[in-house]
Amino acid sequence: MSGAARPAPAAKSRHALSPAGLLRRFGPLLGLLILCGALGGASDRFLTADNLLNVCRQSAVNALVSLGQLTVIITGGIDLSVGSILGLCCVMVALLMHAGVPPLISVAAALAIGSALGAINGILLTKLHLPHPFIPTLGMMNVARGLALVISGGFPISELPLGFRFWGAGTIGWIPAPVILVALFCGAFYVFLSRTTIGRDLYAVGGNQQAARLSGVPVDARLVLVYALSGLTAAAGAIVLAGRMNSGFPLAGVGGELDSIAAVVIGGASFLGGVGTVSGTLVGALIMGVLRNGLNLLNVSAAWQTVVIGIVIVAAVWVDIVRQRAAERGSAG
Amino acid sequence: MDHSAPLLEARNISKSFGGIRVLEAVTFDLRRGEVHALVGENGAGKSTLMNIVSGVVPPDSGEMLCENRPIRLQGPRDAQALGISFVHQELALVPQLSVAENVFLGRHPVSHGFVNFREMHARTRQVLGELGREIDPRRPVAELSLAERQLVEIARAVAFESRLIIMDEPTAPLSDHDAEALFRSIRLLRARGVGLIYISHRLKEIFEISDRVTVLRDGRHVLTQPTSEVTHEELVRAMIGAELNDRLRSGAAGSAQSEEALRIQGSISLTVHRGEIVGLAGLAGAGRTRLLEWLFGAGEAHRRTTGEDARPTREVLVNGRRARLRTPVDAVRNGLALVPDDRKTKGLVLGASVLQNIGLAGGRTRFFVRRSHEEQAAQQWIGALRIKVAGLSQPVVYLSGGTQQKVVLAKWLFAGARVFLLDEPTRGIDVGAKAEIYDMIRTLAGGGAAVLMASSELEELMGVADRIVVMHRGRIAGEVSRAEATEERIMHLATGGAD
Repeated sequence: MSGAARPAPAAKSRHALSPAGLLRRFGPLLGLLILCGALGGASDRFLTADNLLNVCRQSAVNALVSLGQLTVIITGGIDLSVGSILGLCCVMVALLMHAGVPPLISVAAALAIGSALGAINGILLTKLHLPHPFIPTLGMMNVARGLALVISGGFPISELPLGFRFWGAGTIGWIPAPVILVALFCGAFYVFLSRTTIGRDLYAVGGNQQAARLSGVPVDARLVLVYALSGLTAAAGAIVLAGRMNSGFPLAGVGGELDSIAAVVIGGASFLGGVGTVSGTLVGALIMGVLRNGLNLLNVSAAWQTVVIGIVIVAAVWVDIVRQRAAERGSAG
Repeated sequence: MDHSAPLLEARNISKSFGGIRVLEAVTFDLRRGEVHALVGENGAGKSTLMNIVSGVVPPDSGEMLCENRPIRLQGPRDAQALGISFVHQELALVPQLSVAENVFLGRHPVSHGFVNFREMHARTRQVLGELGREIDPRRPVAELSLAERQLVEIARAVAFESRLIIMDEPTAPLSDHDAEALFRSIRLLRARGVGLIYISHRLKEIFEISDRVTVLRDGRHVLTQPTSEVTHEELVRAMIGAELNDRLRSGAAGSAQSEEALRIQGSISLTVHRGEIVGLAGLAGAGRTRLLEWLFGAGEAHRRTTGEDARPTREVLVNGRRARLRTPVDAVRNGLALVPDDRKTKGLVLGASVLQNIGLAGGRTRFFVRRSHEEQAAQQWIGALRIKVAGLSQPVVYLSGGTQQKVVLAKWLFAGARVFLLDEPTRGIDVGAKAEIYDMIRTLAGGGAAVLMASSELEELMGVADRIVVMHRGRIAGEVSRAEATEERIMHLATGGAD
């Protein structure tokens, strides 16, 4: 109930100028800045241009995947298959290019495969009336990962064409190419979610699916669309990752679904649906990236990094709930 | 033990909720081996009285006696200990467990610390036998029909050695055939000395099964008589009050035009003209909501959840043309609007803003949202409907019921709907806002829209509608014009009396 009572911020940003509204919008950003400040104080290597660009490059894959995950979570769903779809697309794009298919067509094929697998998730959910998106996407998570291993024989497919590697490892001027790609995707998703009727429908579906259906929102079509989008961004993530690693490897993106869910949730989206923004999700992905990078610089072991990230996820949601309760008391009184 | 003493006697029971008197010095008694029917309109106080008898709520004043001994129920457990069981409308069974496990839920027979399944099954079979029915005690309840599940619930009451069983609308979900079987079980229980309180809206059944009948109206006791000594008409008059009120008759209805806006033909036949307000009357479970949601293309989800496969064989014409209304998307495209019975779960996205809710049904033909256009239109409707909100960005969750309902109406006006299906449009709304909603409905019709409005409040229908169609058990039982509408006549049709 507390989640359903939250205002969806996307269409009302202009009105949310109260202190509580500002905190709601910029809370995750504030968290990111404090984190950066703290890491800058702890390590003199953190706040350098090179390192910050590096953080952005490292965060790009998760940021892309999280955008699709965001649309799913806005509708009140969850997509557990994005990490595996990323892995399968990573292998597919590399295999296609090794088979002599031009990079551009290989990329297009990988994006199509990702979208199609995502759409299958949505169709399974809406047509078979599976009880929760957890089920079809859990199935897809296993199927896609299995196929990635089968097709690649379990081995990485390395040495990819230079033109392809640009989107993972190249730069335009001093800006890493994947960062530009993320910016383009963020812009497109922002316009989609806040300026189009379809995007607005997604918040309605997540806020109250039954009311949306009874108001003429084609709920099933919208759900299929968000899972397809989630598959699409997972494939985009695969292209960046394969380019950066110069390899299509079948275990790419293991755990990626959880990283993307964490970014979306840290970014202020509600697991109950109806709430979530592109800017919040981007900040969420950056917080994850900054944490990993900063803890690396401080020589914290990978094992302890995982512990810290787990704590941050729970703490971020808890802070959000506390703030939200305070806001509700404010508007009730 | 005194066998002539009433099993249960409630004397001068009064109860108020939040300053509103729901029961006023009501007296009721039940003898052993009798079926005592309890009737009254919605809100007459039947449920409250039964909740007091079964220990769910305490009375404010009055006394209760069990076989001449005063009793004080602190909770449902006390009532159970005295042998009082309540068979609820929504059956309280665990579908995954077996029949026997449900019958003995919470009181499994135990030997050496283990559940004694052999004894449990044997006793379940015995109890079901006493009710005149055979069901395998090992079958999971999920596999049973509704009628069988109900029997399991009754068997649970019998297994707990209940001497007093309350049944709330037990036949509402049953077919005639299953209802007959239920009556046989009830007669068997009665023969064993069990007392039954039988609540039903179906007067026909009351004449068939009950020994005595008590009528409540507006929280007061109206009559208690042997059923054989009252007539159908007398009961109806007792339920709605002797003097027929022709209040609320001043409305400006009567702007009906000759053009048909909506026509249903087939197993249900119904026509609504442009500018006309047609009322849909019927008791709870008569199928009004089902009909409206089916019209709106929302019946599919319902069929899926209930597993019912009987598709209604009827077709719909909107503005004289056959319309395929398979989903709400089709319905909205054809200019239909549904104001659902429960605005919080079906009508609004509570967490979203006033603007988002008003824009929910319209503008979907475009790709980009035309925000300034929408804001302007929403402001217009807020002004026209006198919707009291702080601003377009206010979340609807904090608005009053009446204001929320106006937002739902504004949503459909914004979407340009011309045929309005209203399901209990004033439920849970205070009196002042109700009058405003009535005015809006009349204004809608005055502007040429067609309105089909279901309501449980007869006064409301008689005050607003041009005609009233009465439903009974999923069928149309009859129709009365505004001029000839009386509560008596409508109730007669709604309770299955012949036209």
